[in-house]
Amino acid sequence: MRALGLRSILAATGVSAVVLAAMPWLLPDFWLSLALTCLMYAALAVSWAMFCGATNYLSLATSAFFGIGAYVTAWGLATLSYPVAVILGGLAAAAFATLVGAAVLHLRGAYFAVLTFGLGELVRHAVTYFEKSYFKTVGRVIQEAPSSTTVYLTVLLIAAAAVCVCAMVRASRLGLALAGIGADEERAQTLGVNARRAKILGFALSAFFAGAIGAAIAVRWTYIDPTAVFNPFIGFQTVLIAMVGGAHTLIGPLVSSVVFSLLTEFLRLQFPYAFLILLGTLLILLVLYLPGGLASLMQRRWVRG
Amino acid sequence: MRFTLGMRNLALASLVIVAALPAFAQDVKIGYAIARTGPWAPGAQVTQEPNYILWAEQVNAAGGLSVKGVKRKIELVAYDDRSEMETMLRTYEKLMGTDKVDLVLPPWGTGANFAVMPLLQKYGYPVLAPTATGRKLLEMKNPYFFAMLQQPDLMMGALAELLVSRGVKTAAVIYVDELFGLENVGALEAALKAKNIRIVEKKSYPLGVKDLSPVLKDIKAKNPDAFIGITYPPDTFLVTGQAKEIAFNPKVFYAAVGTAFPVYQQKMGATVEGVMGLGTWNPKSNPGTKAYFDAHVAKFKKEPDRWASAHGWAGLQILQQAVEKVGLDRKALRDAIANGEFDTIIGKIRFKDGENVSTPGIVSQWQKGEFEVVWPKARATAQAIVPKPAWK
Amino acid sequence: MGFWLDLTASGLITGGIYAVVAVGLNLQYGLMRIMNIAHGEFLMVGAYLTWWAHTALGVNPLAFLPVVMVVLFLAGLLVYRVCFLRIARGAPSVEVIEARSLLVSFGLMYLVQNAVYLAWGADLRGYSFLTEPVEIAEARFTANRLVVFAFALAASLALLAVLRFTLIGKAVRAMMQSPVGAQLVGINTATLHPVVFGAGLALAGVAGALLSMVYEISPSMGEPYTVTALIVITLGGLGSAAGCLAGGLLLGLVEAFGMHFTNPSLKMLLSYGVFIAVLLARPKGLFSK
Repeated sequence: MRALGLRSILAATGVSAVVLAAMPWLLPDFWLSLALTCLMYAALAVSWAMFCGATNYLSLATSAFFGIGAYVTAWGLATLSYPVAVILGGLAAAAFATLVGAAVLHLRGAYFAVLTFGLGELVRHAVTYFEKSYFKTVGRVIQEAPSSTTVYLTVLLIAAAAVCVCAMVRASRLGLALAGIGADEERAQTLGVNARRAKILGFALSAFFAGAIGAAIAVRWTYIDPTAVFNPFIGFQTVLIAMVGGAHTLIGPLVSSVVFSLLTEFLRLQFPYAFLILLGTLLILLVLYLPGGLASLMQRRWVRG
Repeated sequence: MRFTLGMRNLALASLVIVAALPAFAQDVKIGYAIARTGPWAPGAQVTQEPNYILWAEQVNAAGGLSVKGVKRKIELVAYDDRSEMETMLRTYEKLMGTDKVDLVLPPWGTGANFAVMPLLQKYGYPVLAPTATGRKLLEMKNPYFFAMLQQPDLMMGALAELLVSRGVKTAAVIYVDELFGLENVGALEAALKAKNIRIVEKKSYPLGVKDLSPVLKDIKAKNPDAFIGITYPPDTFLVTGQAKEIAFNPKVFYAAVGTAFPVYQQKMGATVEGVMGLGTWNPKSNPGTKAYFDAHVAKFKKEPDRWASAHGWAGLQILQQAVEKVGLDRKALRDAIANGEFDTIIGKIRFKDGENVSTPGIVSQWQKGEFEVVWPKARATAQAIVPKPAWK
Repeated sequence: MGFWLDLTASGLITGGIYAVVAVGLNLQYGLMRIMNIAHGEFLMVGAYLTWWAHTALGVNPLAFLPVVMVVLFLAGLLVYRVCFLRIARGAPSVEVIEARSLLVSFGLMYLVQNAVYLAWGADLRGYSFLTEPVEIAEARFTANRLVVFAFALAASLALLAVLRFTLIGKAVRAMMQSPVGAQLVGINTATLHPVVFGAGLALAGVAGALLSMVYEISPSMGEPYTVTALIVITLGGLGSAAGCLAGGLLLGLVEAFGMHFTNPSLKMLLSYGVFIAVLLARPKGLFSK
C-alpha cells in the first residue's frame, strides 16, 4: 500500500480545480447548479470530517457556521466586495467556533452533538431577535447578486482550498494530534498533546470553510432570512454525507458528496413521488452492508490520504 | 388537364396540412417546481398545485390551450422541490434553461418566489404568483413577476374599516416573527391609528411556539374590544384553541392565515363560529367561483382554501387569456399581462408595477360552516356578526 | 398567588408534552445507544393512525391508544430486526453503534415520511377531541392537554417503577450498565433488545396519538419533535427516566415564565440558553448517572 503523498494530493486537487473551472462555459445552467451543489457539500463534508472524523466528535454546528457566513454577506454585500464578504464570513464563523469551542469542547458524544445543534438554534433566534428589535426587519434582500459564474468559481475555490487544507492538516502535527485525541484523548495528553488547543484550532478551521460557503451560496437566494440560512438540515446532510463516505478519510467525504448529490437529483427527477423511499432504502442498505462507508470500497487502491 | 389541376391542388393541400401538423401535434409544455414534501407542502398542496392540475385538465378537455386561436394540448412538467431553495432554483434552471419549456408556473411561498425572481428575469418567463406577498417583494420591481394577492395595506385597511364601522375602540395585537408578521403589523398600526382605534397590547412571538396562553391571559386582563392575530396556520389553530380554553371572548377575534383553510373548520368544528380572518371568496361569491369550487371538490375530494386558491385560479385564467391573445412569445405575454385588464373568478384584475390593484382588501368570517365575506359591502356574502358569539 | 400557580401550571403542562415526546427515544438511546433520528416520524405515524381511526371510523382516540401501542410495538420489533440488529452485533464500540444507527435512522426517516405522503398526502389534517376547558382551582385548562400531562406523569412513573422494582427492569438496568456483564449473568440481551426498542417506538406512537388530539398533523411534523426529544433527554441525562421527565418539565417552566417576564420572541433564546447553560454546568445532564 503506497501512501499518497501530500504533494500528489495537492497537485491532483489543483488540476481538478482547473478542469472544473472551465465548466461555466461548457455546461448548461442546470448542470452547473448541480455541480455547485456537489462542490458546496464537498467543501462542507471535507471540512467537517477534517475535525470531526479525526476526533470522533459529532458536531451539528455546521448550520450555525453556514448561517453566520450567510448573514455576513446579507449585512455586508452592499458595502464590501463579494470575495471580501466570503472571507469575512469564514472568519466570523471561525471566531464563533473559537469562542464556543473554548467553552464546550470538553463535552463528548451525543451531549456534544445535541449541544452544537442547540447552538445553531440559539444563534438563529438571536439573529432573528436582534434584526427584529434594532432593524425592524426579519430577513434582508440582496440587491446586487454576483453572477452565477462568479458564485460557482468562488465555491470551487473554497472546495479546493478545503481539500488542500484538510490534506495538509492530516499530514501535519495538528492532524496527528487530532487523530490521537480521537483514539484516546487522555493518552494523547500524556504524550504531550495540548488537546484543548488542538481541538479549538481544528474546530475553528473547519468552521471557516462552512462560513465561507454560507457567505458564498446565500446570494443565490435573493432573500436571506434566519429560517432559510440557519436550516438545521444543512448540518444533518453534511454529517450524513461525510459519514456515509467514511469520515476518517479525505477521499470518502469528497466522493460521497458527489455521489449523494447526483443520486438524489437523479432519483428526484425520475421518480417524482417515491424517490425518498428509494433513497432511504439505499441509505439503510449502504450502512448495513458497507459499514466502513464508501471509502472502504476504495481502500485497496487509494490509501488514507 | 383537370386531372393535373386536381393533383396540384391535392399536393398543395397536403403540403399545407403537413406544414401545419407540428402546430396541431405539438403540446404546450408548462413547467413548475412545487413543494410536495417538506414544510412548504401543506400550503402548496391546498392552495397551489391542485389548481395547476385542475386547470390543465379542464383546458385539455375543452380541446387545448388556445394559442392565438390554435388549440394545443397542455403538457405539465412538474417536479417536487422538497421545500428546498437550491433544489427549487435548480429545477427552474432546468425547466427554463435546458428543457426550454413554453411557460412556467411559480413555486409556493414568498421566500421561494423571491429566490426565483432573478431567474424569471434572466430567462424571460412571466409568472403570476398567488402565494407571495410583501412590499419588499414588489420593491424589486421585477418586470416578469406579478403578485396576485392583496398586499398588507389593503387587507389591514379593510379590517380597520370593518372595526370602526362596528364601534370597536381598542385592540390587542400579536404577530409572528416573520416578514409577513412585521409587514402586516406595520400596515395594521397605520390603519388603526387613522381610525382612532387604540392598541392596548402588541406582542410578537416566534414561529413554532407551542403555548401562547400566558400572552393571551395578559391580553384578556386588558379587555380589548378586538383581538387581532397576525398568525400563521400553526399559531392560528393554537390561539383559537387557547382563547377558548381561557374563555377570552372579545367582540372581534381575528386570526390572519389559516382561517381560510378548510382544515381549520374540519379540525376545530363549531369553535370557529364567528372567527374572522384573511379571505377573498367562497362558492357563493359568483357563478364562476361556484363552478370552480365544484370542479375542485369533484376532482380532488377536498375543498380549495377561501383566500389564495382563487387567486391561483385567477392567475391561470389571466395566463390563458393572454396566451389566446398574443401566443407564446413570452415578452409579448409579459406586456399583455402588465397592460391588460382581465376577467377572472374574483373579478376584473389589472396590474400596476406587478401588483394586483383591482382586488380590494377583504375580511371574512366563519358563519355556520362557511367562511363568509363580510367586508367590503360590495363583495360581502353575509353580514358581519359582531360581537362574536361565545366559544362553543 | 393564583396567578403564579396558573403560570406554573401552564409551564408544567407544556413541559409534560415535551416529556412525553422524549420518553420513547430515551429508552432506545439509554439502553442500546441507538440514536434513532426517525423517532419523530414514528410519533407522526401514531398521530396519523389515530386521526384516521377517529375521522374515518369514528373511533374514540383514547380507546384507540392500545391499538397504536401494539401496532408500533410490532413495527419496532420488525424495524429492529431489519435495521439495527446487524449494527448492534457488528459494531466494535458504542460510539460506532451511535454513528451507524444515526445514519440508518436517517434512511428510515426518509422512508417513513415518504410512505405517509403517499398514503395520506401532504395536507394538514386535524380533529379536536376533549377540547372542553376544565376548571381546577380557578384555573382553566383544555382537557386534552391535561390528558397529555397526566399521561406523561403516568408513563414516566410507570417506567421508573418497572426499572426499579421488576426483574425485567433490573435486567434492563444491568444491560445499561454493562452489556457484557449482563450477558455473563445470564440476561438474554437478544430478546430484551428488540423488546425495549419496540417499547420505545410504541411510546413514540402513543405520544403522537395524544398530540393529535391537540395539534394539527402533517407528514413533516416529526422533525421538530425529534429535536425536542433530543434536547429533553440530553438536558435530563441520557438514559435517565427521571431526568427525561424533569428535563421536559423544566423546559416548559422556563418557557412559561420567560414568556411572561420578557416576551415570547425571547422564549426560544431562553430555552436554548438554559439548555446550554445546564450542559456546561453538568456535562452529562441534570440526572447524570
